[in-house]
Amino acid sequence: MVWITKLLLLPVMFFLGAALPTSGYAEKQFKSVTGPCNLHFPRDHGPHQDFRTEWWYYTGHLESEEGHGFGFQLTFFRSRVTPPATVRYPPESPSAWRTDQLYLAHAALTDIPGQDFFHAEQMARAALGMAGASQEGDSTSIFLKHWYARIEPHIHKLGAETDDFSVQLTLKPAKSPVPHGNSGYSLKGRKKESASCYYSMTRLQATGSVFLQNEEYPVKGLAWMDHEFSSAPLEADLVGWDWFSLQFNDNTELMIYLLRQDDGEYSPASSGTFVEPAGRVQHLSREMIDVEILEVWESPRSAAIYPARWRIRIKPLDLELIVRPTLADQEMLTPESTRVTYWEGSVSANGSIEGNALHGAGYVELTGYAKKFDAPM
Amino acid sequence: MRSLTLFLRLWTWFSYRQLYAHRWRALAVLLGIGLGAAVFTSVRLAVNASLHSFTQSMDTISGRADWSVVKPGGRVPETLISDLLKNPSVKTASPLLKTYVQAGEQAAREFLLIGLDPILDRALRPWQMDADALSASTWLDLIGQPGTLLLTHKLMASLRLESGGDIKLKYFGRSSKFRILGVLNSQGLALADAGYVAITDIASMQEFTGLHGVVDRIDILLKSTATVRDIERIRAALPAGVILSRPSEAREAGRMMIDAYRLNLSVLSFVSLFVGMFLVYSLVSLNATSRRHELAILRSLGASSKELFWLFITEGAFLGIVGWLLAIPISSFMVHKLLHSVSATITHLFVRVNVDRLKLDPWEVLLSFCVTLLISVLAAYQPAREAVRVPPKEAFLMHDRSLPGHKPLIFPAFVGLFLITIVLPLPKLAGVSHVPFSGYVATFFLFAGFSLLSPWFLAFMGTFLPPLLRYVGGQPAYLGSRYMRDAGSRIAISVGALITAMALYVALVIMVHSFRNTVETWVNQSIRGDVFLQTQTGSVNEYRDPLPGKVVEQLESMQDRIDLLPYRRVYLYEGNIRYLFEAIDFSIFSKYGRLLFLEGDSPAIMQQLAKGEGVIVSEVMANQLNLKIGEYFHAKVGGADFNMPILGIYRDYRTQGGVLHYSLKHYQKLTGDLTWTGTRVFLRNDQPPPRPSREAIMQQLYRIVRHTPGVVVTIGSDLRREILRIFDETFAITTVLLLIALFVAALGITTTLTVLVLERTRELNTLLAIGASFRQIRAMIFWEAVLMVTAGQILGAGCGFILSRLLIYVINRQSFGWTFLYSVDWGSLSASLPLIFTTALLAAIPASRMAFRQSPASLLRER
Repeated sequence: MVWITKLLLLPVMFFLGAALPTSGYAEKQFKSVTGPCNLHFPRDHGPHQDFRTEWWYYTGHLESEEGHGFGFQLTFFRSRVTPPATVRYPPESPSAWRTDQLYLAHAALTDIPGQDFFHAEQMARAALGMAGASQEGDSTSIFLKHWYARIEPHIHKLGAETDDFSVQLTLKPAKSPVPHGNSGYSLKGRKKESASCYYSMTRLQATGSVFLQNEEYPVKGLAWMDHEFSSAPLEADLVGWDWFSLQFNDNTELMIYLLRQDDGEYSPASSGTFVEPAGRVQHLSREMIDVEILEVWESPRSAAIYPARWRIRIKPLDLELIVRPTLADQEMLTPESTRVTYWEGSVSANGSIEGNALHGAGYVELTGYAKKFDAPM
Repeated sequence: MRSLTLFLRLWTWFSYRQLYAHRWRALAVLLGIGLGAAVFTSVRLAVNASLHSFTQSMDTISGRADWSVVKPGGRVPETLISDLLKNPSVKTASPLLKTYVQAGEQAAREFLLIGLDPILDRALRPWQMDADALSASTWLDLIGQPGTLLLTHKLMASLRLESGGDIKLKYFGRSSKFRILGVLNSQGLALADAGYVAITDIASMQEFTGLHGVVDRIDILLKSTATVRDIERIRAALPAGVILSRPSEAREAGRMMIDAYRLNLSVLSFVSLFVGMFLVYSLVSLNATSRRHELAILRSLGASSKELFWLFITEGAFLGIVGWLLAIPISSFMVHKLLHSVSATITHLFVRVNVDRLKLDPWEVLLSFCVTLLISVLAAYQPAREAVRVPPKEAFLMHDRSLPGHKPLIFPAFVGLFLITIVLPLPKLAGVSHVPFSGYVATFFLFAGFSLLSPWFLAFMGTFLPPLLRYVGGQPAYLGSRYMRDAGSRIAISVGALITAMALYVALVIMVHSFRNTVETWVNQSIRGDVFLQTQTGSVNEYRDPLPGKVVEQLESMQDRIDLLPYRRVYLYEGNIRYLFEAIDFSIFSKYGRLLFLEGDSPAIMQQLAKGEGVIVSEVMANQLNLKIGEYFHAKVGGADFNMPILGIYRDYRTQGGVLHYSLKHYQKLTGDLTWTGTRVFLRNDQPPPRPSREAIMQQLYRIVRHTPGVVVTIGSDLRREILRIFDETFAITTVLLLIALFVAALGITTTLTVLVLERTRELNTLLAIGASFRQIRAMIFWEAVLMVTAGQILGAGCGFILSRLLIYVINRQSFGWTFLYSVDWGSLSASLPLIFTTALLAAIPASRMAFRQSPASLLRER
């Protein structure tokens, strides 16, 4: 079922903001991102279906009243499979199943004290109420089967139920949306069209419940939301991606993405964003970011060797952090469906900024360690 | 090891050389055994190929589904998919829409097109694109590009297509061009329907077929944690008329029908092998009795009786093994001839199968080998036991005591009579899972009983007929018939072979005649109508496609010239048994035809039926579901709950299971389903002049159909002729098997008479020496043959008449659920029995020629 692997690899690559779902069509046949994104909200919370790929990504850390800590991830991916101009036999009377939009979703839960990790995924076409994204007034709704994310003017609602766990959360934005790069235009390569429109909701106050192993936990915590869309494939010399989203106790946040080249170096297109307590945004270029891998972890299943502890220095901010996973094994293995292997999990961060102690939590995604992403497919 | 080598050496010297010396005789036996084994193996392999094709097709299409959401007689609304996918107990749900489509302009190039959602379906049914065509873009295009499909290698080759090319498909009068995205690997779903299959996206399928909004079914894979209560919740949430069914039901229903057919053909083909068993007996028996002198010498030289016993058992085994080896080339020729006709018969009778290759099952090969070996060894057992009894002192006798002594005849005759008597109550035992075990046991007892009766019968004929025959045929007739009295059990065995073949012939002639007569009556009375209108894909798509409303309107506007008998058909399942629910207008039906009722008062029932006060069921359905008049029929049809008394049971010979009839008017009222599956049209002749001509009405009907693609019109007389043609085709295999059995029996006559002549060579030559002429001796042998064949025919015919009733009232009822009006084809029997008689006598010619190959002097010389 290699073809299924290939298809399901797409959203993961897309999630990395580089590789895109492809049906063998050139990216120029889709609408591309070539300049400022001029993001406006709530309009741009909604889907951008002319672009090849798009995702809404939620991560966060939750804690029950008894102090039981969880990390969670819920991501919805949209993928357009065919540019309209290439359709050879357009149907006179289209079927209700007719669509060129596919949706995929991943949900994961890290039980920090239990040192356990659960994940699941879904996929369906955007038809007949199986999946989709739409906007009605100021509200955006994204759903795939019974998983959903609803973005209302002052609130986000999330829900996912898997065989192992379920999460139901209400998220309240504490800060405005943060556009990355140049007003949301986030360059991911050398060419100007190797880019995406990318913004984050870096601080969302979360309340809700987690259901795990026949036990329901009322929880509170902090969440992060990313929304990104593009039509560009990953450039040929890139092998993977390390991505960090960190929320600190001083009400600041940091996002870093590091594009890894096949020569082992980070691509000059790598960059980051620092969000101050008041919401002011500082763009971080490649030169400002120094990441050192202090430890590695070898997966007993895939034999992939992932970084497992980092020292991050952001010189202009006088920021130094040690980032470590809350659980070593948060590797996503999907042998029954995507067969894509990558690491995505909850981390903790400790360090200092301008000499002051700094603590935080976040999520890290590491791809291309088990197998190089081969794009375009 | 040493003793085995010694034994084999002894066998080669003693038995093999004897077989080689009389190789033509041995070859005749081997041919008989080989033919029997070949028929048995070929029939089973051919039916197995159909069964394999059917189950594989059903399994690959059903995939891993636990349940299917279906709408009996209709299609499932596609909107259910969303709720099913969101149900917490459902792991995945996947829609399926499949139909047979026509490729291009070639009507014969029909194949199965399956519409599915490649994403939802992946957990249910495996399929993979060929490696050289592998590209994510290709399969994504299945969703993204309307009018695209994937074909199997086999289909590509048979249609001479290439990947990337276009193919024009036709369905129900619609035509559409599809682009071939790639080739499917020969695994999973690509194996459905013998590999003549194509896959397209569900959206493209709906756009092509026009079946927007509906799918054939939605297959469900449940989570491992799902409970019975969860399943009940899913069931309760379905709209009216939509039900949850096990995907295995359809497969099991079809499999059971093919299984029953396989068993019947196996038994029929086993008869040839069974008759072949008599041949082995004759030959081994001849060798045992004619070589008593050598046996006695062997004993006197130190051979144990056990060794002699195994010599003959090994001879039987040798004949079985070599016969089986001979069967291999015969089978390989025969099976290819049978493959098409068997699969065509199964398609006509039960379920659609598409077979183009054989699967050589090692178990079938082993079964065929073991059965052949077993019957050959069993046939050699009695002669081997006789050989053991030869005392060593016989070695000192001057002549062979080749003629065995008299054996008691009364005891076997009583056993035979007893077996024949218990045949009567045996069939009353019910069959097990469509297998008429009691019927087969009764058949075996019947053959065995008549065979055991035959020695006494021959003795009886040999005692009372000689004086009479002396007047007819002179002294040779007298001597010949006297010899019958004294010939012993070897004649009885050959007569037994003839009895078996004759009985089968008579029984099958009667059964086929009764069946055909009944079907003809049924066709003429119950399948009446001048014209039949239905959709082209009606039965293939389980009557899901109703007649278009436009056609119904146009037909209704012609009701001053025609009477319409519309019907609505829905396939239903009761466990693994599939039956057809058919609602019709009984008032119109009664005007033109009638049902052949088995039980119930027909006019009264018709009135009650017209009022919707009950249902009538076919004999097949009544037998399959064990239904009786007065019991209630419960089912959910078209969203309505039916709970109706069974008013009558009638004969019906639709071959794909039972049928239930209900009033159309009341069905429509109960369900709100006003669609027609099809209609019969009767041209009225009760109008005042000027009446429109039949031709004018027919022209108008043709015009309606011409402008409505997908609707076919069949002339009633053509349909009835076609039903009878299919019937005749179905019984072609039976006839072939029967002829082979008769041929093997004729070989048996030749062998037996040859044996009889050879073992009496000395006596016959003595007769010659004391003045008898060659002509007289040949006449004597001729009369022996006449008596043997007459005995075989009389007993065989008697056995056949009983067997015919077993076949009609027991085996057919238990296997297929139907019985027929018993009627004997006297014409065919009286024409064919003399023919068989003559053929059997002709089989005696080689024997009479054997008698005088050596000069009388040399034969009579003292040793």
